[in-house]
Amino acid sequence: MKTVGMPRGLFYYYYYPWYKTFFNDLGARVILSSPTTRITVDQGINMAVDETCFPIKVYFGHVQELCQYDLDYLFVPRIVSVEARSYICPKFMGVPDMIRASFSDLPPLIDITIDISRSPRDFQEELYKTGRLFTKSRRRIKAAYEHGREELKYCQAIAAQGYTMAEAIDIWEGQEEKGSWNSDLCIGVLGHGYSLYDQTISLDIIGRLRKMGCRVLLPEALPGERVEEEASTMPKRIFWTLGRKMVGSAFIMEKKPEIDGIIYVACFACGPDSFIGEIIERKIENKPYMLLVIDEHTGEGGLNTRLEAFCDMLRRKRRQKIEDNLPAYG
Amino acid sequence: MKITYPHMGNACIAIEAMLQKLKLEVIPPPPISKKTLEIGTKHCPEFACMPLKITMGNFIEALDLGADTILMAGGWGPCRFGYYAQVERDILADLGYKFDMVILEAPDSRVSELFRQLQALGQNVSIVEAFKALKFAWYKLQVVEELEKKLAYVHPRALDKRKAENIYDLALEKIKATQDKEEIDKLFHTCLASLDQIALRAEEPLRIGLVGEIYTVLEPMANYNLIRSLGRLNVEVDNSIYISDWLNDHLLGGLVKKSHRRQLLKCAAPYLNYFVGGHGLETVGSTVIYARQSYDGVIHLGPLTCMPEIVAQSVLKRVSSEEGIPCMTLYFDEHAGVAGIQTRLEAFTDMLKRKKARRAAIH
Amino acid sequence: MSYYLGVDIGSVSSNFVLIDEKQQLQEKLYLRTEGNPVRAIKNGYKELLEKRREKLDIKGIGATGSGRHLADIILGADVVKNEITAHAVAASWFYPEVRTIIEIGGQDSKIILLQGGVVSDFAMNTVCAAGTGSFLDQQASRLNMSIYDFGPTALKSKQAVRIAGRCGVFAESDMIHKQQMGYPIEDILMGLCEALVRNYLNNVGKGKKIEAPIIFQGGVAANAGLKKAFEKILQTPIMIPPHYDVMGAIGAAILAREYIEDQGVNTAFKGDSFIIEGQFKSSSFECKGCPNLCEVVCIKREQEILAYWGDRCQKWESSLGHKEVG
Repeated sequence: MKTVGMPRGLFYYYYYPWYKTFFNDLGARVILSSPTTRITVDQGINMAVDETCFPIKVYFGHVQELCQYDLDYLFVPRIVSVEARSYICPKFMGVPDMIRASFSDLPPLIDITIDISRSPRDFQEELYKTGRLFTKSRRRIKAAYEHGREELKYCQAIAAQGYTMAEAIDIWEGQEEKGSWNSDLCIGVLGHGYSLYDQTISLDIIGRLRKMGCRVLLPEALPGERVEEEASTMPKRIFWTLGRKMVGSAFIMEKKPEIDGIIYVACFACGPDSFIGEIIERKIENKPYMLLVIDEHTGEGGLNTRLEAFCDMLRRKRRQKIEDNLPAYG
Repeated sequence: MKITYPHMGNACIAIEAMLQKLKLEVIPPPPISKKTLEIGTKHCPEFACMPLKITMGNFIEALDLGADTILMAGGWGPCRFGYYAQVERDILADLGYKFDMVILEAPDSRVSELFRQLQALGQNVSIVEAFKALKFAWYKLQVVEELEKKLAYVHPRALDKRKAENIYDLALEKIKATQDKEEIDKLFHTCLASLDQIALRAEEPLRIGLVGEIYTVLEPMANYNLIRSLGRLNVEVDNSIYISDWLNDHLLGGLVKKSHRRQLLKCAAPYLNYFVGGHGLETVGSTVIYARQSYDGVIHLGPLTCMPEIVAQSVLKRVSSEEGIPCMTLYFDEHAGVAGIQTRLEAFTDMLKRKKARRAAIH
Repeated sequence: MSYYLGVDIGSVSSNFVLIDEKQQLQEKLYLRTEGNPVRAIKNGYKELLEKRREKLDIKGIGATGSGRHLADIILGADVVKNEITAHAVAASWFYPEVRTIIEIGGQDSKIILLQGGVVSDFAMNTVCAAGTGSFLDQQASRLNMSIYDFGPTALKSKQAVRIAGRCGVFAESDMIHKQQMGYPIEDILMGLCEALVRNYLNNVGKGKKIEAPIIFQGGVAANAGLKKAFEKILQTPIMIPPHYDVMGAIGAAILAREYIEDQGVNTAFKGDSFIIEGQFKSSSFECKGCPNLCEVVCIKREQEILAYWGDRCQKWESSLGHKEVG
């Protein structure tokens, strides 16, 4: 059985069920790197140029781990666009080239280009090219692709119930669903999935908020068409897929009465985040909003303090509101 | 209407010419100074790239001088530049400025579309006049770039560097001020002739190729006057991008000039095989070309956190070792110090000089 | 006796060396710059005279370091060179086969790779101080320890504590944390050494092929703990030159000797009385000549203006006639 290595980083958090099903259906075994640890981070920092963003460095760490195994292929797609007229970011577009330039003993790469903004035909060709490494049957490749898409939808449906994509993937893989969390606050949390849902990169911001008694609402729980609709109120279309999703989600969250506040988790040195964080900050006027910038230097202590302070403020604000509504003379 | 625009190297000469020919009252932003960058930095997101901060500073300084309309270019990603205008408009509006912003959207529009946009911008100008305005601006740009290239040749070889700089600076100032074609031609030829009379050193200079993000390459205030500093160290700098190339490839659809983009892409392909926005691909392709033309080295510039150039930088180390050309990457932001950059430039040219001498000794 | 004088004026220390015509070191002097390079240069020269108790026959002068132009103006240098070249020249004089130079000073650090005695690649640290000597100085004083005891104490460690954080500030908070958890001091010190080495390799040494023979120089090379940490992490023995702390100055002196001998010229040395008897003063002003508003530095001796710099257009600088640098 052929083996395909897959780094647990970047679009793993958005597409893993699809990828995995596709390769499994074609008779390949998928070897996933372990969850991000301090070692992954150190190795990534070692390999990637200093100026790049934290999630890319971590991705390099995952690639390094996979290089130790005896793999037939390493799957590092070039993700240019996943929808028409939009991009992810320039670094995603250069990922396979950066990896080739940085590692010397790589297994053969499957560096399929995912570029939907060009013609769908091109993408299909890329897909068949990948599939042919495992089977000659075009029909089988197509079926595996469609099956993968179904599985992804199923996984997304799990996430929509209030799980992070990382948790949803675990559940999809057969882990038990987690119990509910006690909460008195509801916070909308935004950020690129590959930093937000990686517990090491984000220092588990979501877990921390839940422990502090917050229900967390994530972009994956919002209906896609509504998000697009809200995002399209911007005077110029935002050409970064994730950026547009964040802006649209923020606008929806602002209108939802049950949401007490919004947190945007941005990565230092992330190009789109430097603009999107700013845009949201300027547009969100009716809800408390906090921009958290994280990178490999972020310490737990400082982060906890900021999250606690934000929650305390939301709680005091709510109490204030209740007190304001009480009649003055009982 | 009082219109203003952002600075980028000598582009102001062409832009101003065009706007004036469109019968507009132009309020040019004051030349970029430390203050410009300070103002821009104060109002821009912290980890945004530096060109955003400088152009923001330009706009604020120009609006304070009474401008009420801003001309800006756009784009459709994935580089952040495509969203500059929107972010800047929001920030300026929040600061309480009242103004219009005219955004020329680049790659999506066709040339005819561009003329239409320009005509609409002008005050009662016909399509013919709009075309003439553009043609005149283009002509001026060509003249300026020819002089830039001439200085690039003379400066590193000149015995009296300051004289060469003065001749060029003065000619540029005069060309900027006149809108008369004959006068421009006269100034152009006088300048060429005076530069030709400068006494040159006998020794052939080192040759370095300059690659990277267009704004940091072309705007001396963004790169601490890098080209001049190198010229003063007797290094000839070949600039891989000129404004006219960019306009030709991106705004005018390759109409006016023969483009060498295809060759660039071909050379980049083994190392970087896809467009990554901005000038990332051009950076890699140009470096390969410089290596094959036996340049002594390549200096790679970009604003700190520039996404396309980070991809290029990651790939350049492989280009450098496989093509055998020394490369140095320099990033710029509002914190970069001039001393550190000067030391790096000196050390880099020293290294190249000694390498070259050793090669010569072996042969 | 005839000498070549090499000076390395950095922001933390100012170093002076005298070498003879066979390039043998005859004298070295290490001073703190204390934010006043003009005074450091003058005092350094004075001390050198007092130490030698003879009339120095200076055949040539080389200057390097961030204050090299200042040294040129006060002393009259024949060669004004950047630090990379100076360090490389000195190291390959002592070790002709050297492939890698690790140089860590008080405020900056460098890596220089050589092939056949010629620099093939180099890098300098960015603004971060976590890979430099001042980081160790700060931590030593935080632990109430003299920097001179730092190395010997660290060497006693059997198991270094892992200190996280690539940045000085974060490393410091992690160190305090480890200290409060009760780890022995020697293990913490060794942990700091290893953290500095990791920072250095990840920042300055990123992507560089570090090959033996490796030389470790700069003021920080005095710290034996660091040498051990480098050897542990790189898994190669590391050499420390006998005059590790003044290598930049030695390089400058060697360059001066080469220059004087190759060109067959006389030195530009200004002479004892010019240096010792005059009052040097530096001042600065904002040039209003154009919107750049450059901060121009002016160096005066008594009433005479010796030099200007800092103006982009070199209007001031060239008004006095200038020398080529490189």
